[in-house]
Amino acid sequence: MASIRRFSALPGFRLAMGYTLVYLALVVLIPLASVATNTVSLGWESFWRVVADPRVVASYQLSFGASLLAAAINTVFGLIFAWVLVRYTFPGKRLIDALIDLPFALPTAVAGIALATIYSKNGLVGSLFQPYGIDLAYNPNGVLLALVFIGLPFVVRTVQPVLADLEKEVEEAAAGLGASRWQTFVRIILPHLTPALLTGFALAFARAVGEYGSVIFIAGNVPMVSEITPLMIITKLEQYDYAGATAVASVMLIISFVLLLIINALQGWAQTRHGKGG
Amino acid sequence: MSASIALPGATDRYEAPSTREPLWVKVTLITLALSFFAVFLLLPLGTVFAEALRKGWGTYLTVLVEPDALASIRLTLLVAAIAVPLNLVFGVAAAWAIAKFEFPGKRLLITFIDLPFSVSPVISGLIYVLMFGAQGWFGPWLAEHDVKIIFAVPGIVLATVFVTFPFVARELIPLMEAQGTEEEEAAVVLGASGWQVFWHTTLPNIKWGLLYGVILCNARAMGEFGAVSVVSGHIRGKTNTMPLHVEILYNEYNYAAAFAVASLLALLALVTLGLKALVERQANRQRREALRERAESSGE
Amino acid sequence: MGIAIRNISKHFGAFRALDDVSIDIPSGELVALLGPSGCGKTTLLRIIAGLEHADAGSILLDGEDASSQHVRERNVGFVFQHYALFRHMTVFENVAFGLRVKPRKERPSSAEIRKRVYRLLELVQLDWLADRYPSQLSGGQRQRIALARALAVEPRVLLLDEPFGALDAKVRKELRRWLRRLHDEIHVTSVFVTHDQEEALEVADRVVLLNKGQVEQIGSPDEIYDHPNSPFVAGFLGSVNLFHGRVEDGHLHVGEHALPVGEGQGALDEAVGYVRPHEFDLLPATADSGIPAKIERVISVGPVAQIELTREDGELIEVEVYRDALDELGLREGDRVSLRPRAIRVFRKEPLAA
Repeated sequence: MASIRRFSALPGFRLAMGYTLVYLALVVLIPLASVATNTVSLGWESFWRVVADPRVVASYQLSFGASLLAAAINTVFGLIFAWVLVRYTFPGKRLIDALIDLPFALPTAVAGIALATIYSKNGLVGSLFQPYGIDLAYNPNGVLLALVFIGLPFVVRTVQPVLADLEKEVEEAAAGLGASRWQTFVRIILPHLTPALLTGFALAFARAVGEYGSVIFIAGNVPMVSEITPLMIITKLEQYDYAGATAVASVMLIISFVLLLIINALQGWAQTRHGKGG
Repeated sequence: MSASIALPGATDRYEAPSTREPLWVKVTLITLALSFFAVFLLLPLGTVFAEALRKGWGTYLTVLVEPDALASIRLTLLVAAIAVPLNLVFGVAAAWAIAKFEFPGKRLLITFIDLPFSVSPVISGLIYVLMFGAQGWFGPWLAEHDVKIIFAVPGIVLATVFVTFPFVARELIPLMEAQGTEEEEAAVVLGASGWQVFWHTTLPNIKWGLLYGVILCNARAMGEFGAVSVVSGHIRGKTNTMPLHVEILYNEYNYAAAFAVASLLALLALVTLGLKALVERQANRQRREALRERAESSGE
Repeated sequence: MGIAIRNISKHFGAFRALDDVSIDIPSGELVALLGPSGCGKTTLLRIIAGLEHADAGSILLDGEDASSQHVRERNVGFVFQHYALFRHMTVFENVAFGLRVKPRKERPSSAEIRKRVYRLLELVQLDWLADRYPSQLSGGQRQRIALARALAVEPRVLLLDEPFGALDAKVRKELRRWLRRLHDEIHVTSVFVTHDQEEALEVADRVVLLNKGQVEQIGSPDEIYDHPNSPFVAGFLGSVNLFHGRVEDGHLHVGEHALPVGEGQGALDEAVGYVRPHEFDLLPATADSGIPAKIERVISVGPVAQIELTREDGELIEVEVYRDALDELGLREGDRVSLRPRAIRVFRKEPLAA
């Protein structure tokens, strides 16, 4: 072990590194590997039968579709939140800045039952839409609302520091060269924020795809209509269909890893751009 | 992940006319943000407390001291009391190895540590079922020796450890990387032993970041639902944590009780956010100091 | 305690930081390791301290091989470039740290620690700051506290990494005189790293010039300034004007002009003469010796005038004279003069001369 690192006069590398690797392997890597080995032992045909089952496919469509839409909504509102929090002074600003992380801190089950109550037919908001024949809960609308709730902080918190770091001089220079405020925003500020916006979008999307607790209470969980993919895993587990659960899980894991790679690449890109831009 | 940027006075520099939006734009944006905030954040939070107290304080308290509710609170505290220290020790060890030493594969290691964040909570539970469940790798062996992990407390602890795995490490790694190794080297040159270096130089410099990570880790440990739901078995009074108890009560249409227990969790979330705001300022200060010192010295 | 550096080599990946470096540092001297950034000077200092391992070679502290000793056991004082003061400790606690972490048997009593810390704080003239935190100190004060902390353990040698690097020009100048006086008082063998030739020449008893991981020259400040043994040394110690030509009969022939270089200099077909800006005499254009040139610009910097001239072949020459001398000659921009070097150092022309 000592040979793979550069010499350092500081103590404790072997102990810390050894502990890190063992703990990481025991808690994370080996358990995750169990999905892979179980999937492989399933065989291609039965794997395909599970993951291409119409009910499961419908759940992918809902999970990924609603997650994309939710992440897009969060990107727009996340940018607005980051903008007003960095640039403007208004009453309640500190409260908003502190509470914006609520979806991180509030247990998902609590969020789930609260959202279901608000958006159901008799709920505070749901009842406003009821007269127009729009149901907000117990259908895909509910899934979307829950995913918007849990994804909001991601975009705000990735864009906020980048926006705060943006030098005012750059904007002044643009204004001095005759750009309108809108031109300055589109040509100067937005390109600067793009990596952060994309990262926030990807983070919110990744979280939304896997989300369970806040969604199931409001989704209604109607087969072929409002079942999310994580629920499919649970359903199969409850039927003791471990193989089926594993197959669906492996599809989700692969997608998560691809997303993780994309997020890492985006962050690397953002860093190099940041470095160059000074 | 979250940096509080709203320093008082920070907005003043955007007040110059050349870099100011028209008033109507500003008003529209603030209105949009406030409405979204009210509908999506304040309303759910308020609903939890309103529903919890709908039948008055008397009912509220009665519901909370009901034995199954108390058992769920005890279990939640127990699980957090095991999971948080485990991940605390891991976080410190990982950050020490990663931030203070150079070795190949460092980025890969960090990606691995972040893995649990990108795995669906449901899968986080599933993997332990695959390992320790009746049909799992160790299932037969465990059954033979009469050890219960899945649908029992150990499974809940394992799933919680998994989902809260990265919190402390992820908070400490950038902080300790920013602080560099000079202070530790100075301590070693002056004759300090390994533990003396850690206790006297490293720990005081990272204490706020550490606390910040622990607060986030604890909030998630107490509030985790999906992963725990898979491994718990939902046995009332035995393997129900608070979030699972909320679910059971809600599905039984016992809304007052469900929201009463939920209100405790919401309170925990508010306390977490409050502490977070306090600690975050200190942690950011520590990081800024470290970064500034580096910047000052490298820009000679 | 003397330090002997024997055949030290060090690589970082493919980069050769130090290549077979040997230096002897006699007891009680104050030595500067001077060189451009990346020359390996800081690495060498860290190897002496034991903060870095050499790939080959050994370090002898007072005649005894210290290569296998851990940093903790070497008993060296190290002053870091950015001071590395412990942020959460007061000045007193910082200085006392090295005494407090000693094994119980060797640890002085707290009264003794107090006495020794205050003695050191008085030595660095900062005893009135004992209760402050590092963030409340100026850069120069931090530097002196870092020095006091390093001295507290009564080190055998004192090592300083760019000790004045992070300070502004005025404080820098004060502190280096102060360091020189301090060294004259306590006489602990000291090595400091710097990239600033002025600093090295002013403070050190002896200067070691490093380049690309190798020793270029070792000597007293006057020796290396007056007698650089390579073009690199000549160029590194201040700006120089280059004259390409050939040496014959004790003269450097530059085009049709001949400049005397002394009889000792052997003949060279391709040679370069190095002349520092202040080593020229300005003569009227009619003078029969020297190199003719035209004054392009005169820049006054306080008492000194920096003159840019062009030779007949268009090459630029920089000359420095006192302003009153220039006024006496009545020269101005556009005038033609003859330049006569008072001293020329001649080297064989190298294809890769720095």
